Amino acid sequence: MADIVSVRIGAESAGRVSAGRLRFFAFMAIAAFMIAGPAAEQVFGVRTALLRSWTMFSAIGMGVIDASFEIRRPDGALVPLDRFEMLGAPRDGRLKRIESRDELASVIKRLCTAAGQGADIRVRARQATRGGWQIIHTDAENACAG
Amino acid sequence: MPVPADAIADWPGWRLMHAIAARFVDWAVCSEGSSRSSALIRIGLAMLFWSRWAGELLLYMDQSPVGLFLAVNFFVATVLLFVGYHSRVAAVWTGAVGLTMYYYFGFQLGREPWTHHHAYLLAVAALLIALTPCGRSYSLDRYLSVMRAERTGVAPPAERGNLWGLRLIVLQLSVLYFFSAFDKSSYAFLSGARIEAIFLWYYAGSDYPAGLAWLATIVSVAVVALEYCLAFGLPFAATRRYLLLPGLAFHAIIYLTLPVYTFSATMVLLYLAYFDADAVDKVIARLQGIGLKEEIS
Repeated sequence: MADIVSVRIGAESAGRVSAGRLRFFAFMAIAAFMIAGPAAEQVFGVRTALLRSWTMFSAIGMGVIDASFEIRRPDGALVPLDRFEMLGAPRDGRLKRIESRDELASVIKRLCTAAGQGADIRVRARQATRGGWQIIHTDAENACAG
Repeated sequence: MPVPADAIADWPGWRLMHAIAARFVDWAVCSEGSSRSSALIRIGLAMLFWSRWAGELLLYMDQSPVGLFLAVNFFVATVLLFVGYHSRVAAVWTGAVGLTMYYYFGFQLGREPWTHHHAYLLAVAALLIALTPCGRSYSLDRYLSVMRAERTGVAPPAERGNLWGLRLIVLQLSVLYFFSAFDKSSYAFLSGARIEAIFLWYYAGSDYPAGLAWLATIVSVAVVALEYCLAFGLPFAATRRYLLLPGLAFHAIIYLTLPVYTFSATMVLLYLAYFDADAVDKVIARLQGIGLKEEIS
């Protein structure tokens, strides 16, 4: 590479050779820095604020919970439960997005209270993690029991 | 009998590598061209800096000494960058202000979202444009040099210069696209799970819409494939023609659907660096009717 740099940049006048070489080495140094940032984190697992990793959209949406609720009717059938309707909450309010397990537990508790003594509410929920969806609640048991 | 060094030099693979390396060096640091595309990027960056931060840095917003110092530096540097007075110094100054906001105010003082990608990209782009002849066109620098040339009776300086700063911008964009795709090349993303989570976070809330799963999977695979293509295809004219519109559409969609601030606009502006600077110059001349006049005459 050194001889190529000499040949290509050496075509300029003698006074500009050093400037051309300097420019080439600066180019390579800046390029190395550009690549080192993401490579450090994504290849070698080194996390530092000094280097930009370009891991885009990796944190957005983490923790959000996908939840569905069902309630058992007196005839024994399980039917979908509209949590907004049950709690009298607006669809665009705080109840729209459940962001943590604690928040989910709180919603379940409020639904059980609103449904009354002996209610059978089944909850299926999974939480977004960097590795994908993680199941955090199954509908195998009555969420209001215990 | 050839000595070993000669034998290596005669090896076809070596000659090919030598030719590729020579072309790379030519492309990277030896090419000169019109300064107009660099100047357009310079002006666009100044406007993007204002678009992103001017409102947050008005003098009454943070009246602490450090806040006022940042605001004054921000506005003086970006105004100089916009009008093109000592353009390259102004670009370094603007980039330094951007990096100070990103590292010190963002990471040290916890001011968000100053630590995000869009902030870093803007700062770095300003620093890289300083390595171009960005002041030789559409600038006060240009006006002053033309006035000086007229006074002294010499031809005005050519609107040309070494384009290695534009090459570094091209490299930065390719690195960005490649590692963005590389990070997403996992089951978690390609299965659609991360797109689903993003959709739930911003749009659907905790109620999973029917039909989202297959759509999210298709979008995820398409995004990763497109980012790899943009990383390796945009620098080359032969593939750029097919990737330009998908790339622009990709950034437009991201801009419309997610809070990416100035990221999409900065990327689109920096796409100018991919094009041959003299070709951009010719397009500008044609738009101004200069090429047309020459053809008629």
